[in-house]
Amino acid sequence: MNCAGSKQGAFYVLEVTGRMDALTSQGFETECLGRLEAGDTRIVADLGGLEYISSAGLRSILSAAKKLKAAGGDLAFCGLSGIVAEVFTVSGFAKLLPVFATRDEALNRS
Amino acid sequence: MSGPANASPGGPACAWTPSPIRTGRGIAFRLSALVLSAVAVIFVAMSGATYFLAREALLKNAEQSARTQAQALVQRIEARLAPISRVAQGLGYDLEDGLLDDAGILRRQRQTLLDNPEIFGTAAAFEPFGRHPDQEHFAPYTFRAPLGITHTNLGGAAYRYHAMDWYQIPRELKQIVWSEPYFDEGGGNTLMATCSVPFYQGQGDTRRVAGVTTADVSLEWLTRLVASVQVLDTGYAWLITKNGTYVTHPAQGLAFNETIFSRAEENHDPELRRIGQDMIRGGSRLVPLKSLHTGKPGFLVYAPLPSTGWSLGVFSPRDELFADVNRLALVSAGLGGGGFLLLAGLVAVIARGITRPLRRLCGAAREVAGGHLDAALPEVKSRDEVHDLARAFANMQASLKEHIRDLTAATATRERIQSELRIASEIQLGILPKTFPPLPGRTEFDLYASLTPAREVGGDFYDFFPCGHDCFCFLVGDVSGKGVPAAFYMAVARTLIKAVAESVAGAGRRRGADASGSEQRRIPDPGRILARANEGLSHDNDSCMFVTVFCAVLDYATGEVHYASAGHNPPVLLRAGAAPEYLPTHGDPVAGAMPGVVFSTDTLQLHPGDALALYTDGVTEAMNPALELYGEERLVKRLAALTDQDARATCEALSKDVHAFADGAEQSDDITLLVLRYNGAGPEGAETAGTAPDNG
Repeated sequence: MNCAGSKQGAFYVLEVTGRMDALTSQGFETECLGRLEAGDTRIVADLGGLEYISSAGLRSILSAAKKLKAAGGDLAFCGLSGIVAEVFTVSGFAKLLPVFATRDEALNRS
Repeated sequence: MSGPANASPGGPACAWTPSPIRTGRGIAFRLSALVLSAVAVIFVAMSGATYFLAREALLKNAEQSARTQAQALVQRIEARLAPISRVAQGLGYDLEDGLLDDAGILRRQRQTLLDNPEIFGTAAAFEPFGRHPDQEHFAPYTFRAPLGITHTNLGGAAYRYHAMDWYQIPRELKQIVWSEPYFDEGGGNTLMATCSVPFYQGQGDTRRVAGVTTADVSLEWLTRLVASVQVLDTGYAWLITKNGTYVTHPAQGLAFNETIFSRAEENHDPELRRIGQDMIRGGSRLVPLKSLHTGKPGFLVYAPLPSTGWSLGVFSPRDELFADVNRLALVSAGLGGGGFLLLAGLVAVIARGITRPLRRLCGAAREVAGGHLDAALPEVKSRDEVHDLARAFANMQASLKEHIRDLTAATATRERIQSELRIASEIQLGILPKTFPPLPGRTEFDLYASLTPAREVGGDFYDFFPCGHDCFCFLVGDVSGKGVPAAFYMAVARTLIKAVAESVAGAGRRRGADASGSEQRRIPDPGRILARANEGLSHDNDSCMFVTVFCAVLDYATGEVHYASAGHNPPVLLRAGAAPEYLPTHGDPVAGAMPGVVFSTDTLQLHPGDALALYTDGVTEAMNPALELYGEERLVKRLAALTDQDARATCEALSKDVHAFADGAEQSDDITLLVLRYNGAGPEGAETAGTAPDNG
């Protein structure tokens, strides 16, 4: 799994690629907490390049989202497709967390 | 013991396997061989140079000595021959002076013999009619006869001496002439030679030869002298006359019979002929030559005897000449060889001394490599590279020991953890219900569930239990992540859900009883169960673990099923005689993630023969070696073929199929299956259903 990020307006956009499983998912949480420490509380994770996500990956996302929320920010998602989108739907994460079809939607929400 | 080798930082390079047999030569051997080869080369070169130089020097020396020897011999011979010609000459002078009458001549001759013992006889031969006008041949001759000194007159009709060589040649040449040697049978029966000297009369133009005086000399002493000359061991000396006739020669029958030229001819030896020519010309040289007499190579020194014109040859054989050099070479080779052996021994001892600690170190290294980490290392006293090596090796041994100690401890820790994980896994499996059928005696439905744990402890679980009147709750869950945390969370989740479900069932019954009496039975609401369980699970859930659950409650009296899903994979509905289909869910979130979530409950009517198959993602995400997923489609297809089987058979067939699909690939997640088949309410079941409210 790889995370590449850039500041876009009020949001910090993280492009996540590869596989997010038990071995790698901690990296996502660490990355988000790193942004949180740097002062970015609103993060948009673009999962367009993510091939696979396991339950451990979901746990990592959940943990990061909770911490960002506690700090007054949020963690949104966009670009979900294929198996990742399916996992989000089945697990109900799509209901728990803000999910947008495109990055623009995520950045231009009110 | 492969542990230390594999764990060492150097990796496989450090996995040194001791080889007790070394195929190459040791350092000591190579060092010795190198030094000794160098010494041997130097020694051979020096010996060779010494040998050839000594040979040169000796050869020069030998040549000089041969020349000297020949010269000395010549002088010795000359010392005896020269006076003889002077004796004859002296007689001639006396005759020229005319001081002697005939009797005086005899007296003079007699006196000469008395004074010179080596002279056999002496003659004074006059020209025809030179002394006495009436006497053609006048040659008074005094010689040693057996009975004493005797006089005679040589000339006469029988002995016309004027034509003889001994007279004619000196007379014509007007010089002293030595005759060829001859064997005087009449006189002394000895080998003789005659020295003839012409004498004159008259002065100036009238001076002419008046006669010839002679002195006969026995050559016995000469042959003895020449024969007695010792030239090395087999060298020899010989003498030839002016004509090349051998006077003496060690070879039998050569003297007086052969000339040097006839011998050269006979042996086809042109070199000898050239030597002979030079010799009779009075030459003096040293020439290499192969002796015809002994067959040995060597060299010949020849020099003339001035008084006679004869020539002396001295042959020195080469091998004897070089005997000294060879002896010298032999001695030096012996000394060198001995020294070499001594040196070899010394070098071997030194080299072994240097490599002994290395060999001991090698032995110790082998022991260490064999696993004896406490093997004693040899003490190296010298402060050299071997000492450094030994120290480095000791350090290595120490760190190796430490490393292995650490490794052993780490291994023990890991084993303990693994053992605890195993126990956790056993506990996890142990708390799952395993009584099939779940309600003995009840035929309305049939249920079977199986959980195949992954190698690592996972968080899957299933559960089923009676839940209110004629109701039966069954569920399948999957906790996020793996390991001990997942196992813990699973245990908590399962216990909590069961407790909540029983509590909800109780509440429903009470509420049902309170609110509407017994006319309507209430089925416990799975959405409510999940919502309450979610509250409990999400409370103080700092680790953000969660669980997906599909929870359903069957009223086995009617076949009505109420169900709710917390982020779980949709189960498969198997209608009797129809294609399997996935149950639509609402996409409600996982349980434990956040509080305050509402879970929708759906209702479903099962008819006899219908079944529900619950599973976890361990089934659909099972992977084969080609990294393909088992997938929902395959699951549905497989289940379609199992619609007429009972729950256990369906479950086992499906489990078997998933395993067959994995084809040996490692199972990464727990595989959980739960199949419920509704058989319909029998008479007993219907009765029970009918009476339930009354009983409650």
